[in-house]
Amino acid sequence: MEKKLSQMKYEEKGRIKVIDQSLKAQIAGMGIREGKEVEMMTKQPIKGPVVVNVDRANTSIGLGLADRIIVEVEE
Amino acid sequence: MKKVLLMGQANVGKSALFNRLAGARVTESNYPGTTVDFAKGRMRLNHEDVEIIDVPGTFSLEPKDKAEEVAVRMLEQEKDALVVCIIDSSKIERGLYLALEIMEKGYPVVVALNMWDVAKNGNVKINAPKLEQILGVPVVPTVATRGEGLKELVLRIENATSASIEEVMEKVGGKGGTFN
Repeated sequence: MEKKLSQMKYEEKGRIKVIDQSLKAQIAGMGIREGKEVEMMTKQPIKGPVVVNVDRANTSIGLGLADRIIVEVEE
Repeated sequence: MKKVLLMGQANVGKSALFNRLAGARVTESNYPGTTVDFAKGRMRLNHEDVEIIDVPGTFSLEPKDKAEEVAVRMLEQEKDALVVCIIDSSKIERGLYLALEIMEKGYPVVVALNMWDVAKNGNVKINAPKLEQILGVPVVPTVATRGEGLKELVLRIENATSASIEEVMEKVGGKGGTFN
């Protein structure tokens, strides 16, 4: 099932499917690229950033960015 | 004076390495126009004094904030500098991204695989000689906080070379690509 990264639940795992073109170069340095496995670590309230784990590294990204990343998750 | 830039992502131990390399000869300075600090010091390299600069952490050469802008600008201003790219070995992949970006710009680079102990404890196995062969630049495992590998690192700084990204791509069989 596809969903936005921002819609992933706590501890949910998935694989990054599509990253908005305008974002790719910006987040590649954080290890976030298409095909990567991600796990949702923390979601901050009141539209705060999300923390995801990619390749054992935790990275926080703004909710606005997380909205533009599509993830494939298992049902 | 020859300049050595210490570059790497946030929290990989740049400053720990800097303090080790520059010893007590550290001087702090402010980069004009921003609130971001960087530190400068000196070290002896091959019987020659060189300036060593602790550049603010940056994820990539696509700046996302003020600190990263400073880092990128410093790199661009120091065309003749040599870069020691510091990577957190336990998160090696994202660190290599920045290393490759710097290499792509043509700077002579030495890679310090820092936090080698953390990677080892986390069961991350890295074949440093193989990586060195692929990248075509010196790759040295270090533990900056304990001073491990620093002698080797300093010795290898003299061998820093500019590498060709095309050759790297060939060796890994990748197709390359850009984001644009």
